[in-house]
Amino acid sequence: MASGNKLTVGIADMKLAKGEGMLVTYALGSCIGICLHDPVVKLGALVHIMLPLNMETGRKNPLKYADTGIRETLKQMEAQGANRSRITAKIAGGAKMFEENGGSLGSIGQRNIESVRMVLRKEGIRLLKEDVGGGVARTLLFDVGSGLGCVRSYGRQELII
Amino acid sequence: MEIKSYDELNHLELDTLREIGSIGTGNAATALSQMLKRQVRITMPEVRIMGYNEAIEWIGGPEEITAGVLVRLSGQISGIMLSVQPIEFVNLVLESVMDKGITNYEQLSELEHSALIEVGNIMISTFINALSGLADVNIDLTVPAYTVDMQGAILAVPMAEYGGQSDYIMTIGGNFVCDNRQVPCRLLLSPDIRSLNVLLRKLGVSNG
Repeated sequence: MASGNKLTVGIADMKLAKGEGMLVTYALGSCIGICLHDPVVKLGALVHIMLPLNMETGRKNPLKYADTGIRETLKQMEAQGANRSRITAKIAGGAKMFEENGGSLGSIGQRNIESVRMVLRKEGIRLLKEDVGGGVARTLLFDVGSGLGCVRSYGRQELII
Repeated sequence: MEIKSYDELNHLELDTLREIGSIGTGNAATALSQMLKRQVRITMPEVRIMGYNEAIEWIGGPEEITAGVLVRLSGQISGIMLSVQPIEFVNLVLESVMDKGITNYEQLSELEHSALIEVGNIMISTFINALSGLADVNIDLTVPAYTVDMQGAILAVPMAEYGGQSDYIMTIGGNFVCDNRQVPCRLLLSPDIRSLNVLLRKLGVSNG
């Protein structure tokens, strides 16, 4: 994949890049990395969310949650000229890091996956590709120039999404 | 006064938690020492309250591969306890118990994975027993869960668990020293906010 300037996206964080550039977020476990891309204006964003739904009263940290994180990112993309109808998404993460006996209401990873898919659908964003679930951590690289994502895991081949 | 977030802890409360960390880790070191039949000391235990990304840097970067043993606490105290086992620690255990070493985790056999789970489980249980006696609380532990993967994703498990309550993660833990070699073995206790208040009350340092 093309290199160039590489921006790191932390947990509960989001970065945008225009034209060329690589966005990367490391070690997604139950968290999900969402790549959003408008190919016409060549604008890309990567947001790293941790939990499915924002139920905080103060809402100090919208990027921590799938619902508010995706909406905030879309808002910022639109402010930079992206058009909602052209934006597409690719996602990775939502793993279950530990196989525990008698788990409760399904894992956080699974709930994150469901929430991300639902929010994208509600916002009218097409989900092009995903690499989600399972039990492995993922590092997600997003090449804004080409719109391609690359998923790196321990003990597994790199995957292009 | 009940705290609502980890960053509201005052110095006295932090010192108390550090003391718990010290006693818990000390007991865990003794247990490890008996298992390995070697002398094991502990370094100064730490109580840390960190932002998510700060915590990932503190543990040594997100992508480093490590073994992790996870036990959940319930009863009067709920939380998650992790034994994060970097390769130096794995080798310390294997050298002592099985007289061999590894250079990456793929070389571990089923039996050796089991040994690591057991060592992690015993250290965690010993720590919690000490805590339970000290604060006079009942704590139930789950069967240990285990994985080998990127440490950032392992540390994100307690973060995500309490992410709805706080933008910070609190960890209590320490490192071990064996044969004058410092071995990073991170024993990390992450209690939820409610349990932290119970603990501080039981230990007589909360004003409530």
